[in-house]
Amino acid sequence: MHKYIIKRLLYMIPVLLGVAFLVFAILSLTPGDPGSIILGITAKPEDIAALNAEFGYDKPFLVRFFNYIGDLVLHFDLGTSYQSRQPVIEDIMARFPNTLILTIFSMSIASILGISLGIVSAVRQYSVLDHTCVVVALIFASIPGFWLGLMLMLLFSLKLHWLPSYGAGSLKHFILPTLTVCMSSAAGLLRLTRSAMLETIRQEYIRTAKAKGASQKRIIWKHALRNALLPVVTTLGTSFGASLGGAIIAETVFAMPGMGTLITTAIRQKDIPVVMGATLFLATLFSLIILLVDVLYAFIDPRIKAKYQNGGRSRE
Amino acid sequence: MNRKKEKRNAQIKEFWRRYKKNKAAVTGLVILCVIVGIAIFADLIIPYSKCVEQVGADRLQWPSAAHWFGTDEFGRDLFARVIHGARYSLFIGVVTSLIALAVGAVLGASAGYFGGVVDNVICRIIDVFMCVPPILLSLAVVAALGTSMRNLIIAITISCIPGNVRLIRSVVLTVAEQDYVEVARSYGASNARIIFRYVLPNAMGPIIVNTTMAISDMILSAAGLSFIGMGIQPPSPEWGALLSAAQTYIFTSPYLLAFPGIFIVLSSLSFNLVGDGLTDALDPKLKD
Amino acid sequence: MGKEILEVKNLTIQYRTDLETVYAVNGISFSLKEGETLGLVGETGAGKTTAALGIMGLLPERTAVIPKGEVKFDGKDLLKLSEQEMQKIRGSKMSMIFQDPMTALNPVLPVGKQIGEALYLHNEENLTNSQIEEKVEETLELVGIPKERKVEYPYQFSGGMRQRVVIAIALICNPGLLIADEPTTALDVTIQAQILTMICNLQRKYGTSVIMITHDLGVVAETCDKVAIMYAGEVVEYGTLRDIFTGDRHHPYTEGLFGSIPSLTGDSRRLHPIEGLMPDPTKKPEGCWFAPRCGKCTEKCKKQVPPVYEKDGHQIRCHLFDEQDTEEVQ
Repeated sequence: MHKYIIKRLLYMIPVLLGVAFLVFAILSLTPGDPGSIILGITAKPEDIAALNAEFGYDKPFLVRFFNYIGDLVLHFDLGTSYQSRQPVIEDIMARFPNTLILTIFSMSIASILGISLGIVSAVRQYSVLDHTCVVVALIFASIPGFWLGLMLMLLFSLKLHWLPSYGAGSLKHFILPTLTVCMSSAAGLLRLTRSAMLETIRQEYIRTAKAKGASQKRIIWKHALRNALLPVVTTLGTSFGASLGGAIIAETVFAMPGMGTLITTAIRQKDIPVVMGATLFLATLFSLIILLVDVLYAFIDPRIKAKYQNGGRSRE
Repeated sequence: MNRKKEKRNAQIKEFWRRYKKNKAAVTGLVILCVIVGIAIFADLIIPYSKCVEQVGADRLQWPSAAHWFGTDEFGRDLFARVIHGARYSLFIGVVTSLIALAVGAVLGASAGYFGGVVDNVICRIIDVFMCVPPILLSLAVVAALGTSMRNLIIAITISCIPGNVRLIRSVVLTVAEQDYVEVARSYGASNARIIFRYVLPNAMGPIIVNTTMAISDMILSAAGLSFIGMGIQPPSPEWGALLSAAQTYIFTSPYLLAFPGIFIVLSSLSFNLVGDGLTDALDPKLKD
Repeated sequence: MGKEILEVKNLTIQYRTDLETVYAVNGISFSLKEGETLGLVGETGAGKTTAALGIMGLLPERTAVIPKGEVKFDGKDLLKLSEQEMQKIRGSKMSMIFQDPMTALNPVLPVGKQIGEALYLHNEENLTNSQIEEKVEETLELVGIPKERKVEYPYQFSGGMRQRVVIAIALICNPGLLIADEPTTALDVTIQAQILTMICNLQRKYGTSVIMITHDLGVVAETCDKVAIMYAGEVVEYGTLRDIFTGDRHHPYTEGLFGSIPSLTGDSRRLHPIEGLMPDPTKKPEGCWFAPRCGKCTEKCKKQVPPVYEKDGHQIRCHLFDEQDTEEVQ
């Protein structure tokens, strides 16, 4: 198992380099250079050139890329903001906690709610509860998070005055944004868990267990659950990505200082180093989560575990 | 040739019979038809001029007989704007999903079918793309290219491609292992022929379902990006942009938020319902 | 050969959906004494597996219905028992070996756990966990698997080895009745013989009664005491091994079945397969189910359902045997 984790960690290095290259390449398509962005096109050409040199913008693309990576790896330096002239990493560190808390809250609630209701729904297929779950999940999967957020804000902040509508001071501030983000993930997980569970209950080994005289309850908990969770676990990574995306939009709705507002503000101000640093930072986090999910998966599926222990990547 | 046609007709009939039995799926289809109808005949329902006509006296009017959905901060009729907005959402949803499908099909099918180096290169590139959450990828593209309808389409298409490649690759892998492909190969059918005649048609089911669901996701993503100001910009009556502008008036004029939102939910819901219906109708073995 | 352990009377099973009713099993009867083996023979789709699942109480709940019939096991009618009571019987007093060992085992549990579960669930002798483990090891060795492999997972076993695991699961509680549903169909020919011999040896050792479901007459000849030939959900011929394999009084379907096997000793030069296909199980015919494929079909066969005629315990469901010396049953 250690071997597998180390191997996956090593594989992360080229992937992350690839991610950095991808983001760097996309963002270098931006028209204009830092000098004219900061000083404006009316500034003197030599001032612009001087500023461009300060940002290393006078060098060719690949040189800039490797300089960036070099600074990142050696000094944990993500460059300097065009606007604040502060290191980007400081901006990120100031905003990241809010986004992280929001994402973690949302993911946890979504997983607990989605997976448990999905199981119950499948076990009692065709019951009233099942029908309700399926319909409600489908509706929530179709509601854009930001609109749900606005509606929640309308009801709980503006009409009932129970919860704050913006900012990020206390735990209370996180309730509405969390609901905003987690509902669609929960709906997705519910639908997936339910169908995975239904599929599992139809398997022949479930009949074998029944033929042994196992009770319905034992069959669900001992035999079906672990098999049904396999496909659910594989999507937890994607689900985390979706929550992160949801958090970015929810921050805008609730004017919460986080990575989302940082990035959107930076995009409006053409503050490319900030966009770049923040994107790279979140992408790295996301990759680590995916790695974590893969390892978790290997733990619950003995077949995958063995495949990796014996070495060699499978085609599937 | 005729017999083939008949067989195809019989298949479609059987498929429709199963689809029809599913009430939710039929509801979805009806909603979808209505929304598509709205998008196509928007000009007949209410002329586009109503969308842009600013009546100073009628600013922020609540819904009434004259303005069914009320008016916005410039006195424009919200009903007209929402109706004409349907074109944006549907167009973006369908176009992005189809482009993503086409690119995904080419890359995914080649990776799955040829295997080896091709598969390896494609998979490693996809691994990289998969490590960036979709919305960040979209935001990066918007940051680089600027905000416009074209760039929004590029931005959300790119974020949708990696998942498609993976799906189509795995479906093709499953199909390519089937005996009938082995048989076709054994009598010397060309690669292209095998892919287009045997592999893709048999992989169609999950791909159609996935694309239908993807349209729903794309509609939501497009609206989301427009809402945070990174997609279609006002004064275009795109639903996400309408909501973005309405946010300021949440306290005084909540109807500005309600109507565009309901239309987003309905269009996304209709594609999800149809997708679910297709899943059940295409794969009857899942039902007892 | 002791007392009767199982008596199936007029068992009828249908699968009902909104669209159609499938007449899967149409009033079959047979009985089984302690230590006996009954062969249930027929083509795919004849209702053999459905009958077995019906006896075990494992039919899909939502679609399967048993409109009539009786399954007497150890003096109790299983069809009248509650689910809880059935759970006590399943796995301990009767158990089943499934057709496909590749899908019959839970992929995420070690085989030892899966074998021990039956004993754990029916722990009548209050064995401790370590005693259960011992018994698991013992059973593994009995079916020819080294006991060290109990911690391994199903994917680490070949098809034949997995079937041994399935057999171990079925046998660990020493059931009175074992239903083997085509236990060798999915296996290589060389493995088939091993598995069959093993089942027979274990049966002799413990005096278990066995229902051997198969479409292979060779298997029947080697293992069974009694045979029931099934066609379209009915038992068309029922008797001792000798009744079925010798003599000249046979149901036309049985004759067809034997005509489909190449004979090395006989003088027949070619095979005589049964023409046509199994009838649509959703459409109950007016007369005999076999009439459309039968070479000896008469007008009466098309119109009237044939009763069962019996002579010295040898039963045949066919109008051709409406003779003086036979006795009509049911």
